[in-house]
Amino acid sequence: MTYVLNRLLSVILTLFLITLITFAITNILPGDVAMMIMGTQSNPEALAGLRQSLGLNDPLLVQYGRWVGGMLTGDWGDSLIFKKPIAELLSQKIVASAIIVVMSMTIALALAIPLGVWAAVHRDKWQDTASSSTALLGVSLPDFFWGIVMILVFARWLGWFPSSGFVDPSENFVRALRHAFLPSLALGLGLMAHLTRMTRSTMIGILGQEFIRVARAKGLSERTVIWRYALANAIGPVITIAGLQIGYLFGSIIVMETLFNYTGMGWLTYQALLNRDMPLIQASVFVIAAVVMLTNLVVDLLYVAIDPRIRLD
Amino acid sequence: MKRRDFLRNSTAIMGTMAIFGTAIPQAVLAQETPVTGGTLIWGHSETTQNLDIHQTGTASSSRVLQNVHSSLVTVDADLNVIPDLAESFEVSTDGLTYTFKLRPGVTFHNGAAMTSADVKYSFERCKDPATGAVNFEVFNNVASIDTPDDLTVVITMSSINAPFLSRLAENGAGAIMPVESGPTQGTNPMGAGPFKFVRYEVGTVVELARFDDYWNGPAFLDGVLAREITEPTTRLTGLRTGELHMINDIPLDRVSELQGDASLQVKTWFPLNFDFINMNHTYPPFQDARVRVAFDMIIDKEALMQGALWGQGATSPSASFPTGAAFNKSLVQRPQDIEGAKALLAEAGHPEGSLNIVFKATTNYPYHIETAQILVEWFRMAGVNLTIEQLTWADWLSQCWVDKDYQMTMMNFFTLWESDFLYYSVWNSKGAYNYRAINDPIIDQLTEQARITVDNAARADVYKQVQQQIWDQSHDIILWFRNGTIGAQPSVKGLDSVVHPNGSNLNFHKVWLAA
Amino acid sequence: MKRFLSVKGLIGLILVGSMVLIGIFAPILIPPEAGTAMDMTSRLSPPSWAHPFGTDQLGRDLMVRVLLGTRLSLEIAVTAVMMSILIGLPLGMVSGYFGGITDNVLMRLVDTLLAFPALLLALTISAILGPNLQNTIIAIGVAFTPFLARIVRGEALRVAQMPYVEAARASGTTDMMILWRHILPNILPAVIVQATISIAFAILAEAGLSFLGLGTQPPAASWGLMIQASRDFLDRAPWTALVPGIAVALTVLGLNMFGDVLRDILDPRSK
Repeated sequence: MTYVLNRLLSVILTLFLITLITFAITNILPGDVAMMIMGTQSNPEALAGLRQSLGLNDPLLVQYGRWVGGMLTGDWGDSLIFKKPIAELLSQKIVASAIIVVMSMTIALALAIPLGVWAAVHRDKWQDTASSSTALLGVSLPDFFWGIVMILVFARWLGWFPSSGFVDPSENFVRALRHAFLPSLALGLGLMAHLTRMTRSTMIGILGQEFIRVARAKGLSERTVIWRYALANAIGPVITIAGLQIGYLFGSIIVMETLFNYTGMGWLTYQALLNRDMPLIQASVFVIAAVVMLTNLVVDLLYVAIDPRIRLD
Repeated sequence: MKRRDFLRNSTAIMGTMAIFGTAIPQAVLAQETPVTGGTLIWGHSETTQNLDIHQTGTASSSRVLQNVHSSLVTVDADLNVIPDLAESFEVSTDGLTYTFKLRPGVTFHNGAAMTSADVKYSFERCKDPATGAVNFEVFNNVASIDTPDDLTVVITMSSINAPFLSRLAENGAGAIMPVESGPTQGTNPMGAGPFKFVRYEVGTVVELARFDDYWNGPAFLDGVLAREITEPTTRLTGLRTGELHMINDIPLDRVSELQGDASLQVKTWFPLNFDFINMNHTYPPFQDARVRVAFDMIIDKEALMQGALWGQGATSPSASFPTGAAFNKSLVQRPQDIEGAKALLAEAGHPEGSLNIVFKATTNYPYHIETAQILVEWFRMAGVNLTIEQLTWADWLSQCWVDKDYQMTMMNFFTLWESDFLYYSVWNSKGAYNYRAINDPIIDQLTEQARITVDNAARADVYKQVQQQIWDQSHDIILWFRNGTIGAQPSVKGLDSVVHPNGSNLNFHKVWLAA
Repeated sequence: MKRFLSVKGLIGLILVGSMVLIGIFAPILIPPEAGTAMDMTSRLSPPSWAHPFGTDQLGRDLMVRVLLGTRLSLEIAVTAVMMSILIGLPLGMVSGYFGGITDNVLMRLVDTLLAFPALLLALTISAILGPNLQNTIIAIGVAFTPFLARIVRGEALRVAQMPYVEAARASGTTDMMILWRHILPNILPAVIVQATISIAFAILAEAGLSFLGLGTQPPAASWGLMIQASRDFLDRAPWTALVPGIAVALTVLGLNMFGDVLRDILDPRSK
């Protein structure tokens, strides 16, 4: 229990540090949003007026206090460039990205687990080589390159999936999934390599254990032994590893969503960065960091629940 | 088939001349009776940002808002200012008083009738620096706005402001919005235009619906769905697969290929904008006109245009609207002469290899990056080391536009067809768009003189002298006018009416979809 | 296992080796202007005898560019990783060896930084510093540092508990000396393995940054930049994307294979 409590305390501290870092970063970014709003019509007087009305002239501490205070009270402010409440923007875009994150993870696991099991069962044979080579190929190309290939093959040539855009799942669930599929597939291929490796090594460990030998000795079919007994025990660690990849995924969606014009968190963050929309950069960077950290926390706690030895560390 | 052929032929002509309101398309259109109904799905090339027409300086937002708002005055195909929400207007002989008679029976989308109070509200909102309006300086000389009755607006100037009317016709400065609607314009833009704003999903789609009480008759389309697709090839794919009815900004390298495709309509028009290469006049080497002229001589403009625009444009020695009266036809671009440029640079104290210049180009216009890459080659041949720095739009604006922290860059301008707006703001030492810090007493004197020259022909002559001076001194290197492009399904009719005379805005009032 | 590993290691070694050789010799053998020489009469032309890998949108020879780009891409990746080692190694060692408050503070900071996806961090740093070669390296280097510091710290913590370190401490050896004599040599293998794999990631990161316009600047022939430029011409000239894409793939593949083998040889725990 103390472990969980300690962990929670450190989460609060980390969240606080995240706000500090986010705020610091956004305040040393060059360029300013007033200029972006006015475009080539910018001129000193108008800029000064606009900056004043946007509250960009206040002391930094005041701006920081206003930001954190606002977030705590649920008032996340408005995006300067899109003129919409940030909370509303984020809630829309998080749904969009969640679809991609879940879908790419599902694709990655669906590919990695069979591949990893296959490699473990046929350890050191050609199947092992084939499996690890496939996985390596997946991770060896930038995921946006996979994205480009996907667009080319599945949208342009075969016409099976739309090449871009986002559809709200509440509007049309099937279309929403179709739009999310190609970016998810591209991301999934990048994720797959690491997961395949983890599945393989975990499976190898488990297959060498006593209870597997007992199961085999009892005359259970090899298929049952591998898929029912061994995999059931391997799946926990593999999913834990998968959870830890969330951070990597949130980095990759910036590029991928931009490429596919899929308007989720990554796209929003990139737009905010491009447009120097400080409140939006702060909010979206904070949310991404917080989501990554909280996912890691959940994974850690799950791990503790599964494997009590961790607590001794 | 016939119509398509015609379109293709007419687009060929469009490459060399302005085509607005030519008589023939009207005649062809007359053969088909427009039908009402259907929603046009438009693949828009850019992301809409601020929806408040006063605050938005981007062409992307204006392009959409053009359909939501109507202006007091607008321009016809020849860029003459004509009434729109005003029924008529009058300028006093001393040029200080403008009287607008408003069109009766104009309603806003909220059902309210437009009165002079709305005009006063809109202009005062735009003028107020607290609004952060991009066009606030249009109203700089406005001393008072009076509303003697519901349909009369009298604007009094403190001093002459010759381009006032034309400025009202542009960039949303003359847009009229209902009284007190200001605070909600950013989220729910509302005006008296042919389409009502329905919704905006950031980065995804803007939806507009027909406004049945539009003063000039309801539009044919039930609505417009502007899907925002910033990737050029993705946009083109959407058009080809039929997901989209229409796209703007066809990738430049694909235009000629598409023109040969009988299953699609392609509309190109000229000009969309002009581009020029800028040299920062505060950077010591560029204070010497010989260096600027030498740089001009390094560039083969035609080859550059073919390379960067894939031929979708026409080179020009002047930034004046090509069909305008003020265009100085006696100017010719300097031909490429690398050896001559080297000699001139040496004479100016810059022997081969001694000049290291950073060229800042914005990724907002990918063809600027291509231009810069081609320039690097020629400049190297001339012994000048050019380094490219790509900037996001935000960084370009802050570094080049406002802080003037650059050596060389390039930019384009969309809608500066009005000569005073163009030459005063861009080349006068006090001009709002003079981000090169050009300080040429001759240009200053000429642009001031033009402001008080009443006779139009004489005024045009003054501007011709300005162009001559810019060319002589090579203050900037003017490159070309770029074509605008639209691709559409054959079912989209009335395409000829889509492009606003300024070449940038799109208006869907007269567009319809064939069954 | 052994035999397979050696085959895999050999392939990795050959791939990495040839990339390094290309990186060293291409810029010597090919005049730099060749990489930017344009031929407007053969834009986007498919592979042919004159241009074995085809040409790009400005008629530049893709073979020449991809060969010249090898040096650039490797240089960026290696320098960035070296930078992250230079910062991360001392940080991690001090943190892991001394423990206590220092460790707590440093690791809290590292944990926080780790919550920011590396690419997001690199993107932001690049946006702050402005786009050029040097800043791209800094951005990637800084973004990779927390990860490296974490790994070094774990290793240092492990080594610090070894009996010989205890013994050295008991005999009065200074902390500096222990760090230098005992900790560093013992964590080096893990660092080398991590560095090899990090270089692969750095190549991908450079490509990602260039793809978003915040990395290497044109007309330089970096692989990421080449892929980025190919995006608009993909369906009519797929080779513009495939050529640099395959170059990235082969290098990263090689580094990963090589790294795996190094891990098996150098890192005792993975056996």
